[in-house]
Amino acid sequence: MTKEEYIALTRFGMGVTPGDLRNPIAETGKTPKQWLKQQLSPLAFDDNLPSSTDMLRSVADYRKSLEGAKKSQSNDGASAHKKKLRSLRKSFNRSQNTYNNNVIQRAAAAHQSINWRLLDFFSNHFSVSAVNAPMKALAPTLEREVIAPNLTGKFEDLLIAVSQHPAMIVYLDNMRSIGPNSRIGRRRDKGLNENLAREILELHTLGVDGGYTQSDVLELSKAITGWSLATQRDGNANGFMFRSAMHEPGSRRVMGRSFHQSDVSQGEKILKYLATHPSTARYLSLKLARHFISDAPPASLVNKLQQTWLNTDGDILAVMYTLIDAEESWSNTPQKFKTPREFFISALRAADMQTLDPQMAQFSLTELGQAPFQAGSPAGYEDTAENWLSPSLLTARADWSIKFAQRWQERVPAVNQLLNQLFGDHISELTRKSILRAESKQAALAMLLMSPEFQRR
Amino acid sequence: MERRKFLALGGASLALLSSATLGNPLKPSKSNPKFIWVILRGALDSLHTLVPTFETELERHRPKLFGGIKEDLLPISNGFALHPALKNLHQWYGQKELLPVVAVSTGYDGRSHFDGQDFMESGLGKIEHDSGWIARALENKGKSGIAISRSIPIAMRGSNRTTNWFPSRMDGSGEEIYQSILDLYQYEPALANNFEKGLKMKASAAGQMDSSRPGAFPELAQACAKLMLADTTLDCALLELDGWDTHNRQAPRLNTKLAELDKGLAALKQVLGPEWDNTVIAVSTEFGRTVRENGTEGTDHGTGSAMFLAGGAVDGGRILGQWPGLKSKQLFENRDLQPTSNVYDWLVDTLEQHWKLNSTQLAHIFPTAQARGEIITRRRPV
Repeated sequence: MTKEEYIALTRFGMGVTPGDLRNPIAETGKTPKQWLKQQLSPLAFDDNLPSSTDMLRSVADYRKSLEGAKKSQSNDGASAHKKKLRSLRKSFNRSQNTYNNNVIQRAAAAHQSINWRLLDFFSNHFSVSAVNAPMKALAPTLEREVIAPNLTGKFEDLLIAVSQHPAMIVYLDNMRSIGPNSRIGRRRDKGLNENLAREILELHTLGVDGGYTQSDVLELSKAITGWSLATQRDGNANGFMFRSAMHEPGSRRVMGRSFHQSDVSQGEKILKYLATHPSTARYLSLKLARHFISDAPPASLVNKLQQTWLNTDGDILAVMYTLIDAEESWSNTPQKFKTPREFFISALRAADMQTLDPQMAQFSLTELGQAPFQAGSPAGYEDTAENWLSPSLLTARADWSIKFAQRWQERVPAVNQLLNQLFGDHISELTRKSILRAESKQAALAMLLMSPEFQRR
Repeated sequence: MERRKFLALGGASLALLSSATLGNPLKPSKSNPKFIWVILRGALDSLHTLVPTFETELERHRPKLFGGIKEDLLPISNGFALHPALKNLHQWYGQKELLPVVAVSTGYDGRSHFDGQDFMESGLGKIEHDSGWIARALENKGKSGIAISRSIPIAMRGSNRTTNWFPSRMDGSGEEIYQSILDLYQYEPALANNFEKGLKMKASAAGQMDSSRPGAFPELAQACAKLMLADTTLDCALLELDGWDTHNRQAPRLNTKLAELDKGLAALKQVLGPEWDNTVIAVSTEFGRTVRENGTEGTDHGTGSAMFLAGGAVDGGRILGQWPGLKSKQLFENRDLQPTSNVYDWLVDTLEQHWKLNSTQLAHIFPTAQARGEIITRRRPV
């Protein structure tokens, strides 16, 4: 394994797996750069797990039972509703475990793992948290339904798809954001909610220093009034629904440009404008470089990505090509300390472990500090070592590794050979010798996972 | 502890630590004043927490939110009242152990939670991710601090005097393996340092959690107090409680959150026992919320909020700060509570009196702050 191949598998991909070794890059006749580029493609979830439409139905049932329990006059009536609530909550928990295991298993088994890294990146960029029962049901569907298929397309398509997805609309309260001068707004004492608009500007596009003001937040929030969801009263319709009766009439002005549309296209036009704005190009380029390459990426690298973003109107594939082509991306010294999720997935890959116990992903990631859909804020999880390298979290990694090694050991015939497979020559003498001198196979494997070489990429 | 020394002691040091420091809380010592900062992440709505009942405008600005609690409020003084869930805080006010401060801000002028929190934690009057005010205070005081969190928050970054701890559901009983892992970090100071600290806390915290909800705030507060008693070098702690971003359904959500906060603070007092008289707690949030309720029975991001100083060492039972009023023209940008004083200024007074830091040290911790010269802590016999 050459250094470049090792970097392609660990820094761009999700870690070396025996599957990678059965199809070595060298034998494809491609350079590692060509190999990575050829791998980039959208992902599809063609399993039979419930969709956001299914989940919205359960959420509607949940809300009905909640109301019912509150209003019910008799004890019996209330307890029937409460029973229903308990069973729904249980099923949301179960489905969350299923979703999480499903994504992790596929990432752990993937040969084209760069796509899974990219999925994690955008899923965290458009972070939704399972803050309550409805969000527990909906949060995992966002990445599956709109991020995966738009992974290597235009950023504007991804942005619009995410902003109109039920998980995001419910999470950031847009469903009931009503234009004060809309038909419904004039009739009822209800109003705007600027939550989604603010996070689109601050977190999803321009970045907090991107040059927007409170007036831009207000204008965008008015433009996306009416971006709502179908309910059971809407008959057969499901998912995203534009409600013109809630939409604030009139032109909007965002970041110095006016938008005169009067329907759903007004918000969409603004999002397209934002997706190709220089501030967005800057912010996303920095975040991508910081995620893939270094906590403090060289300015030259960020500039290259930004230039491609601007030249291609935010073509994610083109930006990724630039990232792969850039010299700065291939520095010999690893500059990223793995996040808990990266560590977990790379450990599964190293162990070639593709079937997980039902709660393994949820439990492991919670204990390692990065529970799926629990960032707790729309900013998502941090992406730098200062957040993940802490006394408590590093100890948790060690405890997890010791446990994991116990299960892994029986499938490892020779540690020496495993070290060669996973690291090639790219491991220090100190690490190699210490691991080979370990007093048990379990200790050796736990040390392998905790070694500086495995902790970084 | 130096790394080499730690290695020499090996697993024995861990065993020693866990047995020697548990169940043996030291007597309160006046030389170790304790300071605990509680961060409320998500922006607390102060008007729903420390309620100015004398304001005729309040009912008009927030008919549903104020209407829902006004009958059950817990009055303190000058027409202010605490939210009904803050039962312990209310009692402390009567016992002169609580100092609410009205209409504060950190000086952060945006409305982003994340920037607002980073700004508040850095204490530099700007956003800075590598240097937090508590870390600088610990350097100046020569004390150590612990964050009860999985990651080290920005407030405690930039000093080697900080550590962190969070309850784990994995009982690693691998002391020999820990040692072998540590051996791999001979040329990796960052990994070695964090791992050593983590192991130390783990040993000290072992067996401390006796709860089915180890991650809940009251339980974390309880564990925090126990850790501080077990390790006398820990004179400072940081606790976090999130979930204050109440854009919708604010009333029921704050009922729960405020009760959780109240219960957690009470747990600190209960466990600290005699050390309570030696303790100051500061509770603050990144910014306030809109004075008017929004269309979804909540409030949006605002500016001025409140802070609370509490503890046996506090000279409480008074309300600090200047009330700006709630008439439309008195609001900040006709929308938010107008801040009339700075969070850091109150913290400067607090650190000066509680930790006896001098003005040079304080200027290093909070370069943009001004001492107010307000009495925060009880006078103690020297």
